[in-house]
Amino acid sequence: MKRIYAIETWCVYCKRCEVACKTFHSASKDAVRALAVEYPVPQSRVRVEGDRHLSVAVNCRHCPDPKCVEGCISGAMTKNPATGVVTSDPAKCVGCRTCVSLCPFGCVHIEDAGGKSIAFKCDLCGDGRGEPGEPSCVAACPNRALVYVESEER
Amino acid sequence: MANRETDYLIVGCSAAGVSAAEHIRAADPRGRVLVVGDEPHAAYGRPLISHLVKGEIAEDLIGFKDARFFESRAIETLLGPSFKAVELDAGAHRAVLENGDSVAYQSCLIATGSAPVLPPIGGLDGRSNVFQFRTLDQAKRVRRAAVEAAAKAHARGRMSRALVVGAGLVGLKAAEALCCLVDDVVVVGRAPRILRAVLDERGSSMLQEALNRHGISCLTGVSVDKLVGGGPSVASAVLTNGDAIDCDLVVLAAGMKPNAELAVRAGAAQARGLACGADLRTSLPDVYAAGDVAQVTEGLDEMRQPLALWPNAVRQGKVAGKFMAGTPDAQPLTGDFAVNAVDFFGTPLLTSGVVNPPDDGGFDVLTRAEGSEYAKFVAKDDRLVGYILLNRPTNAGIYTALIERRVPLSSLKGDLFDRVPLNLDFPADRRWERLHIGYPRELDERGWRRGL
Repeated sequence: MKRIYAIETWCVYCKRCEVACKTFHSASKDAVRALAVEYPVPQSRVRVEGDRHLSVAVNCRHCPDPKCVEGCISGAMTKNPATGVVTSDPAKCVGCRTCVSLCPFGCVHIEDAGGKSIAFKCDLCGDGRGEPGEPSCVAACPNRALVYVESEER
Repeated sequence: MANRETDYLIVGCSAAGVSAAEHIRAADPRGRVLVVGDEPHAAYGRPLISHLVKGEIAEDLIGFKDARFFESRAIETLLGPSFKAVELDAGAHRAVLENGDSVAYQSCLIATGSAPVLPPIGGLDGRSNVFQFRTLDQAKRVRRAAVEAAAKAHARGRMSRALVVGAGLVGLKAAEALCCLVDDVVVVGRAPRILRAVLDERGSSMLQEALNRHGISCLTGVSVDKLVGGGPSVASAVLTNGDAIDCDLVVLAAGMKPNAELAVRAGAAQARGLACGADLRTSLPDVYAAGDVAQVTEGLDEMRQPLALWPNAVRQGKVAGKFMAGTPDAQPLTGDFAVNAVDFFGTPLLTSGVVNPPDDGGFDVLTRAEGSEYAKFVAKDDRLVGYILLNRPTNAGIYTALIERRVPLSSLKGDLFDRVPLNLDFPADRRWERLHIGYPRELDERGWRRGL
C-alpha cells in the first residue's frame, strides 16, 4: 500500500497539512467555513508536533498489524484486507478510547461528531471505508515534508 | 442427535473464539472450522451491552464482524443454548453438545470466557427483578425492566431506583447505563473503594465524586445481606451494616471467574484460569485456551492470571489459532498486560499495568493532578510499568507503547509525564524508526531518491 511519511528535515511547523485535512473532512470543503463556523467541528487527522525549531507531522501509520483494530470492542475499526487502509466506522464507534489507549503513535482521537464522541483518524482522504484517495495533507505541504509513496509493508 | 466432524472445534463465539477462527482460516484455507456457542447471537461486542442498555447503540450494530464474516470464510457456527458444549473427551478428541450431538475434532479451543460469581446474598432465588449483566439477552432484559420500573414508579408518583451489586467495571458501566433509565442508582461494593483493581485511592475517590454528580451513589465496604419483598419481586435490599435500600430492580455484577468447567471436568489443569503455555496449549492433548478462561503469564511482573479484557482475548485467540493451524509465523504469547479504556458520562478513564505498586517493591511513582484530571505513572528500573489517566486520554497509546516495548525512560527527552506525550519525545533515530514502517529503501531521509 501507499503510506504517508513525514520528513522532519523539511517540516517548518506551518500546519498547512492540518488545515487541508480539516477542510477535506468538512461538509463545506471551504477552509474558512471549516475552521470557523462549521458544526460538527471538522477534525484534523494529522497533527504537527513540536515548534518552529523542530517539528514533525504525524498521522496514522496504517500499521501492518494494527493494535487499534485488534482492540476495538465494537468492530468499528477495521483494516481493509485489500487496500491495507485502516478506518473507523462512525456508525459503529462508541468512543470507548480503547484505540486511543493502544495506538503507539497517538494517531486516533475521540472528538465530538455532533452529539456523539467517536474516533477520528486518517483515512488517506478516501471514501472512509478503506479505499485510499489523494491525501490532502501531502498535496498542501509547501515543503515536501510529507510524501505519499509505495510502502514496503502491507 | 447427530454425529458431527470437524478439524477445528472452537467453543465460544466471542472475542477469543472468533479471532481464532479468523486466523485459522487465514492459515488453513481448507480445514473445517466449527464454532459452537451457548448464546444465540454471533460475535457481538460484549463490552457494548451497557451502551445498548443506555440506548446509545442499536442491537443491529452490536456485531463486531460484518454480517458475512462466517459465511465468506466458510466457518460453520452452531449457536444457542442447545449447542452449548457440555462434555469434552480430550483423549477421544470428541465433544458433546447440550442437544446430544457429538463433535469429533482434531484440535479444540476453549474460549468460553468468564462466568459471573454469584454473591452470597439471601433471598436471591426465583426473583423476577434480579438480573445478571454479561450477555446481550441479559442486557435487553435489564433495559426492559428498568424502563418498566420507571414507568410504574412514576405512575404511583414516586421515584424509581436500581441497585447494582458490585463496584467493578461491569457494575459501574451498568450503573451508568441505568442512570439514563431510572431516577436513582445505588451501587453497593464490598471493596473499600470503587474500581479497586484498576484505580488507586485518589482516582477512585475522584471518579466516585464524578459518578455522584450524575446521580449514582456508591456505597463501599459494605455488602448486600439479603433481598426482601413479597412474591417474586425484590422491594428492598438489606445491607450488612443494617441499612435497607428500597429498589425496583437489582443488577448483579459482583465479579467474574474463568468459565473453565467444561475443560476442568475433562481433566485440564486449572489454576487461576486454565493453565496453559505460551502457545496457549492446555494440559489436555490438542486442547487450547484463549480469552478470559485462560491463565496467561503477565508480561510486567510474571504474574500468572487471566487477563479478562477484550483486546487481550482477541490477541490470545490469534495466537492460539495460529498454533492450532500450525503456521510457521505463530508467535508465542509474551508480554501480555492489561490496558483498560472506559468512559463514564464523558469522563474517560484509561489505566494500564501496575497501578497500585507495593511500597517496598522498588517502584517509582509520579502523580499529576489538575482540576478534574488525574494522572499516575508507575515505573521500575527505568521502565514504565503502569499508568492511570483519568480525564487525560490524549496520546495515551504512546505510554502504552513505552510499557510494551520496555523503553528506557532515561532515553526519552522532555517532560512527557507532565503533558501529552509526543512522538518527538523519542530520540531522533528511534523516532524515525517508529514513524517509518515500510519506508521505501530507494528514498533517503530527506524523502529524495537515493543517488540524486
